[in-house]
Amino acid sequence: MTILQTTLSSPQLRTRMSRRTLLKGSAGVALGAMVLPSARGAAIGQSAPGVSTGPQPKGKVIDCHAHLTHHSRATWEADDRKLIEAADKLGIDQLCCSTLTPRWPATADGFRECNRWTADGMRRFPDRVLGYCYVNPGYSREALDEVRRYVGDRGFIGIKLYNEYTCTEPVVFPIVELAIELGVPILHHASHCHYFVEDQPRMSDGGHLAELARRYPEAMLICAHISGGGDWEWTIKALRHAPNVLLDTSGSATDEGTVEMAAAVVGVDRLVFGCDSSMTAGMGKIRGAELSAQDKEKILGGNMMRLLRRRKA
Amino acid sequence: MIIDVNAYLGHFAFRRLRHNTAPSLLALMDSKRIDKAVVSSASAITYRNAQAGNEEVAEEVRGHSDRLIPFTVINPFYAGWQDDLKICHEEFGMVGLRLYPKWHNYQLASPCCRELVNAATERGMVISIPIRVEDNRQRSWLLNVPDVPLEEIVDLVKAHPKARFILLNGIGYTGCPLGRKDNGLPSNYAIELSRLSAVLANEIGRLITNLGAERVMFGTGMPFNYPDPALVKLEVLDASEADKGKICSQNAMTWLRL
Repeated sequence: MTILQTTLSSPQLRTRMSRRTLLKGSAGVALGAMVLPSARGAAIGQSAPGVSTGPQPKGKVIDCHAHLTHHSRATWEADDRKLIEAADKLGIDQLCCSTLTPRWPATADGFRECNRWTADGMRRFPDRVLGYCYVNPGYSREALDEVRRYVGDRGFIGIKLYNEYTCTEPVVFPIVELAIELGVPILHHASHCHYFVEDQPRMSDGGHLAELARRYPEAMLICAHISGGGDWEWTIKALRHAPNVLLDTSGSATDEGTVEMAAAVVGVDRLVFGCDSSMTAGMGKIRGAELSAQDKEKILGGNMMRLLRRRKA
Repeated sequence: MIIDVNAYLGHFAFRRLRHNTAPSLLALMDSKRIDKAVVSSASAITYRNAQAGNEEVAEEVRGHSDRLIPFTVINPFYAGWQDDLKICHEEFGMVGLRLYPKWHNYQLASPCCRELVNAATERGMVISIPIRVEDNRQRSWLLNVPDVPLEEIVDLVKAHPKARFILLNGIGYTGCPLGRKDNGLPSNYAIELSRLSAVLANEIGRLITNLGAERVMFGTGMPFNYPDPALVKLEVLDASEADKGKICSQNAMTWLRL
């Protein structure tokens, strides 16, 4: 409580919220301290939905799905800085970032440029930004070279695939095989809408990722943004029997019950926290989920750390 | 004190909602320390006869009027809406209404809607308009309900300067006249923050700068949404304590005459 009151009255501290503050669902406490003449008394103390009455989550918080800004945008440098500042405010320790081309499909030159900028971001924000190597699998040789260069040699933590190809198309397989060889995850853009998404005709969904996972049970796949990828209930159910696919909780939708259903259907060990630039939505969903502190620790960083430790030398 | 101007009771046709009865919503509010909430019927969004949903809400909130502030849902193209409005206001004590022009398939500029807005305004009722109900990308195969275009809201607020509007579940206000400084529009609308950013683009901060903190209100969209994302926005928002106080409750108290 002391921390909260101080935070709201101190400009310096207001810009760097305590992670514990945010994770223990204390907005009401904070704002109550600020404007409530009297708190809601006994009702507040009751055990109720959403209340974390036990220990609060600890450990490193890793956003598994973040983006740095393409340098064609004049404000890219300030935008990247804002991302780190937002992470500071929300108690996010590290962000797994890719830089995407503004137009798709990405050319080989386009994704190479993006990966150079991601590497630059890792230098600008050491230990905060972790890099995904973004490639278009359609440029087979160039894509494999790029993954070897940035993941193999320059410390990127995984591969980012977007919508250039559906993940079950054979052109994607060499990338998956290389990811297995290197021991790194693939974060794959995905969405399941009950209509044809015209501007993303080769979109992958949870069903495609489950099929890819069956083909490559050693692969570590992450299904991107279940909360920004259409019908999340469909996606969660489609991935139930795909144990090597993790579900990224990011996305702008904040539908109540999403995280709990995902935890119930696939298990908390397969959930990884992400924002995909929807920062307060990302953190708020985890904070609001009716899960134990231990489960939230896994989602917020523990599961991603476990994944990253599987990297091969 | 925290007042949520964007909450619901009842069922939604396309997804199971939890915490959607008065006792369970109040328990959720207690856990988040939200003192009061403006509630309307989620069922009335898809009921043909929205009044049946209003009756359900009136029944639910009975005995909880200190915490739950009921709003009615009215479709101005449905038979008997004038009677429904009168009953909801006079008998059910509903101090405002929510409009769903896209879900109920009418134009905000239509004479019937204008008549409803005038009738509600004469009664001193607040008119809230959810710009969307849920993310359109997750819509059912049965329907495709677009968001309410903000341009249509611009025309509405201009046409009814004496009415008071609260805009819910919207985003992108700063990209249109509604969120711009010196926009020439009457100051008869307030903007609820559940989908607005508090970091990165920081639309909430820009609205405070452009319109004043008096025009921004706290809302969550619960139980459709987790309440926590909106609460986190308040926590990380770079604003004075005085402005946060206005957003949390003071503006709603003024508008709802609490």
